[in-house]
Amino acid sequence: MAHIIFDNVTLQYPIYNSRSMSLRNHLVRIGTGGMISQDSKDIVTIKALDQVSFSLRDGDAIGLVGHNGAGKTTMLRTMAGIYKPISGRVDIQGSVSTIIDLGAGLDPELSGYENINRMGMLLGSTLADMEARLDDIEQFTELGEFLSVPVRTYSSGMMMRLMFAVATSVRPEILLIDEMFSTGDADFQKKARLRMTDLIDSSKIFVFASHEPELIRAFCKRVFRLEHGRLTEIGINDF
Amino acid sequence: MFAYALSDLKRTMAMLPVAYYLARSDLKARYRRSMLGPLWLVLGTAVGVTGLGILWSVLLHENRATFIPSLTVGLVVWQLISGTVIESTRTFSNNYLLIRNLAIPFGFYPLQLIMRQVVNFAHNALVILAVLLIYPPHWSAVQWLCLPGFLLVLGNLYWIALMLGMMGARFRDLENLIAAFMPLLFFLTPVIYRPEQLGFKSLFAWLNPFSYLISVIRDPLQGHVPAPFVWEGAIILLVFGWLSSLYLLQTRHGRVAFWV
Repeated sequence: MAHIIFDNVTLQYPIYNSRSMSLRNHLVRIGTGGMISQDSKDIVTIKALDQVSFSLRDGDAIGLVGHNGAGKTTMLRTMAGIYKPISGRVDIQGSVSTIIDLGAGLDPELSGYENINRMGMLLGSTLADMEARLDDIEQFTELGEFLSVPVRTYSSGMMMRLMFAVATSVRPEILLIDEMFSTGDADFQKKARLRMTDLIDSSKIFVFASHEPELIRAFCKRVFRLEHGRLTEIGINDF
Repeated sequence: MFAYALSDLKRTMAMLPVAYYLARSDLKARYRRSMLGPLWLVLGTAVGVTGLGILWSVLLHENRATFIPSLTVGLVVWQLISGTVIESTRTFSNNYLLIRNLAIPFGFYPLQLIMRQVVNFAHNALVILAVLLIYPPHWSAVQWLCLPGFLLVLGNLYWIALMLGMMGARFRDLENLIAAFMPLLFFLTPVIYRPEQLGFKSLFAWLNPFSYLISVIRDPLQGHVPAPFVWEGAIILLVFGWLSSLYLLQTRHGRVAFWV
């Protein structure tokens, strides 16, 4: 039984620039008792989620929409338990796979095969599990010989295929995908769709952030819209 | 009190095989297109030890049979220590993609660093073995004491890596600060010499925590039982180091993902 429950969640995060990351500035600030805090306050705080509440249960497939900078990626990271809110409660139950940044968990110098094992193990599988799933991953990615060359030679579409194949092969209970999913070609999107339908049917939670209404309608059953960190649920055809 | 920090470490320990696998494949990636591969590590250490051993034994008027083994063990352990300390400030910032994509326990990243250093150390240990065969110490059961000594060193390096990793993610100057002071620390730490050689000034050597970490491995390998205060020093360092590291992890774990 997987679930994600957000109860009145507010998330604020600091943006550090080079001045605020510097130890010298910090020491000067301590040393002068905050006298020059005027020009050392370079930490900009952003309120990315503002009193967000919802609960997702098995079988929920959510489309996350909102303009650039509305907080979609931050929302996915909070759902994955990566970002911790400053107030409110986040309760996540179930194993999580994410596809947020292209290339996360991949070592560009290593081959596709090596990276499949590495990423799968980071997602909580054993080496033996990953070797058993290799056929399935090989077939899904259709990368053939490319799996034995270093990942740095891959195009973004190829990297996407590899990441998606591994992230779904571990059978996560919660799958969180950011918009760069659309880097894949038509053939890949068709295959990915099958996999995701399968995932949703086996009553798992799926959240997909995208700007493309087409893709959202194809994959999702409910739609959340984020605006300035506030969340509202809208109808599937209302955007 | 340390509820989060302890659960983080518990989940980290479950990932031990993953850390080992990653350390091995990192090493493979590093020597991908080289013919000797990781043997370069061994060769580099062997060359360094031979050169420095001959040069310094002449300069310092030391007996080679005792000086070279002492220097070799000192250098190899120092490589383990300094390699960990220097890289530790970047542990979290280098893994920013992973940290921002998966909720992996934070203890995992320094563990991976320690693993990588241990794999390097295991290669360099071949040089120690060779030197000890050429200049044999008095072999006895005392040599086994280097194993608990080694574990004490690893336990200490782990908290150091965790703490410096978190601080380095927040304060980017730390990396350069540490890189600037490590060479000096090399001479302040009894690597080339032994603390006793400083005479009554040896007290200063024992103010340096790294002296304890070198001695708990070097003394037993050379056939001496380390003095009780050496063990005590290393254990006190371990306990207080872990308490402060756990405190940092407990209070700041929610911030790390924003720092990197």
